[in-house]
Amino acid sequence: MINLYDAEKGRVFQVASVPGVGLLENIGLRVGARISIESRYAFGGPVLLRVENAFSVALGKDIATQISVKEVSTR
Amino acid sequence: MSCHNVQVDDKALNKPNKILLMGNPNVGKSVFFSELTGINVISSNFSGTTVNFTEGRFEVGFNEYTLIDVPGVYSLTPTSEAEAVAARFVESGALAVICVLDASNLERNLRLAMELTRHDIPTVYALNMMDVAKRHGVDIDVKKLEEELGAPVVETIAVKRQGFDKLIFHLEALLMQAEMEKFVACRKCEGCPWAAARDICNRSCNFNGDGCENTRGRRSSFLDKLGDKMVKPFPGLPIASLVMVLLVGVVVFGGRLLRMPLIMLVDGLIVPFFRNVFEGIFGFFAGYDSVFTYRYLFYDGGFQTGFRVFVDGSFHSVGYDVYSAIANNMPSVFLNVLIGEYGIFIISFQWIIALILPYVFAFYLAITFLEDSGYLPRVSVLFDNIMRKLGVQGGSLIHMFLALGCAIPAILGSRAATTKKERRMIAVIVCFAVPCISQIGALAALMGEFSWWMPIVMVLFALLMFVLVAFVAGKVIKGKTDPLILEIPNLLLPNAKTYFRKLAIRMKHFLKDAEVPMLIAVFIAALLAGTGILNIVASNPQVQAVVSGWLGLPEEAVVSLILGIVRREMSVAPLILLNLTYLQAFVAGAVSLLYLPCLSVFGILAKEFKIRFAIAIFVGTIVTAILVGGIINQIGQLFL
Repeated sequence: MINLYDAEKGRVFQVASVPGVGLLENIGLRVGARISIESRYAFGGPVLLRVENAFSVALGKDIATQISVKEVSTR
Repeated sequence: MSCHNVQVDDKALNKPNKILLMGNPNVGKSVFFSELTGINVISSNFSGTTVNFTEGRFEVGFNEYTLIDVPGVYSLTPTSEAEAVAARFVESGALAVICVLDASNLERNLRLAMELTRHDIPTVYALNMMDVAKRHGVDIDVKKLEEELGAPVVETIAVKRQGFDKLIFHLEALLMQAEMEKFVACRKCEGCPWAAARDICNRSCNFNGDGCENTRGRRSSFLDKLGDKMVKPFPGLPIASLVMVLLVGVVVFGGRLLRMPLIMLVDGLIVPFFRNVFEGIFGFFAGYDSVFTYRYLFYDGGFQTGFRVFVDGSFHSVGYDVYSAIANNMPSVFLNVLIGEYGIFIISFQWIIALILPYVFAFYLAITFLEDSGYLPRVSVLFDNIMRKLGVQGGSLIHMFLALGCAIPAILGSRAATTKKERRMIAVIVCFAVPCISQIGALAALMGEFSWWMPIVMVLFALLMFVLVAFVAGKVIKGKTDPLILEIPNLLLPNAKTYFRKLAIRMKHFLKDAEVPMLIAVFIAALLAGTGILNIVASNPQVQAVVSGWLGLPEEAVVSLILGIVRREMSVAPLILLNLTYLQAFVAGAVSLLYLPCLSVFGILAKEFKIRFAIAIFVGTIVTAILVGGIINQIGQLFL
């Protein structure tokens, strides 16, 4: 299990745990959701995720490091 | 994050015949709204709350309802101000809900639907963006979904107006049924709305091939690809610069183009008209009343001229002769206040209509397009790293974009910010370094007079100030900033009808909201100039030392500095028609940019924060403006 911020680009991960932030759950980023990293920004910037192939969300580094994910498949 | 008590206009909450238009953010709700309420409907935009909602008249069958465009929310469990507003609308009791579902993200959208069913309000579902879902390999069985939800589901393509008749048909039936018996929603979930949403989604969708299983997007349309590119550092950053240059171009050149007919109208028709009218009236009364009172007020020359005009009965045809005669021969304070160089009837037209309005319109044209296209969240992501270093999260950039319209909704909107520091930062940055729409209009008019590159230099200067102010404020204001959590919507071409509607509403509100304060400012200007107070102030040696010496501006700039307190654009407007040098124009622009925001902003700051904070911002902006303006002037003098 790794934190989401360090997850490799282009692979598919499944969210294992999220901190208790209401907006994260409401937006649909919750345990079990499948995600992939689309882009990462230099100088401590956010990561851009695609969640369930349904929507994209940008997460600041501070919150992304608190989310842990595990790899699902490598195609 | 706590759920604050939001002040929504109680009038809207208490309306008995409400139908709510609800859904997740970015599901195309606003297109539904403008299509359903039709063109013959006056919709009002309730600002003054953090999150605006729009209401409009909506006819179903023979009955008339109020359709309320509730802010887009993910959930009724509020985590932000917007969600609190939505929850209050649902709790206030509505006759029906039109819930718009994004088919390409059904599960999350159904989650909101699940929460809605707990309130027993008759609901029609509009299943929008089916084409996008299909492109992503998801097939939705509408019949099955209808069964699962126990409510009508209508497939719609909002931008093509498909499915609307069916939607209204179902709505009418529901409303009639609800009149006869109490409506009880078909509840699928008492527990977790997510689980229920997932179940329904799984039962009513066919995921073709690897559909939902595959999280690597099959995003193939041009806009999808462009949207993806815009949010990548490369080419996102070059694109952002290009967008900025285009924005300036549209405002400066568009404004200039729009200005031409307005200037002809104002200078050729309106101003001469009022001059004639008032000179006529004045000439008439100066003569008529003078027998009793004006004799003591006016010199004989004025009296005689007025009297002659009266006796000849030709007061309507008097022209400049009488004006100059009166002006030369008597203390024509009134005439000056009305139609002098700074007369109310002269500058209110010249400044507001001929100079500022065209640029305001051009700016709204561009910024409304950007807003509706989904580009702004992408910029927020691109610059989150820099902004975070400065002490705010990238998401706050959206509030600051809002401030390009007006600082007040931006400061109110900052209530949605999750930490105190964030709020204060937004307020400080907006007050110091983000010009409002009419100020942008005035600045564009001033800079555009010179050359095409002056506006760009001004924009770069504004960006530099923005960063500096944010940097200093981030150091001074204590506290923490929350990390960014921001959904990036699909990039889309704004729907033409919705776009023009929004534009119309905005222009209407600009005219309505800005008119009175602008006229007050114009009135003060006219009084100051007409009564000669201005000359007295301007000839004060200390004032001269600051305005002419330190800032290197002509003495008329005193008007700008006085009026700038009332209205932002007035800190520029008096200078536009003067023959300034490049350096003077730039100094004037810089001072105006940093100078204090208007009196209304002061009121909002005092209300939203502590009065001490408001006063600090006001003093800080004045000092900074004069300091920075002076430095630019002094350095400029060395080189030019």
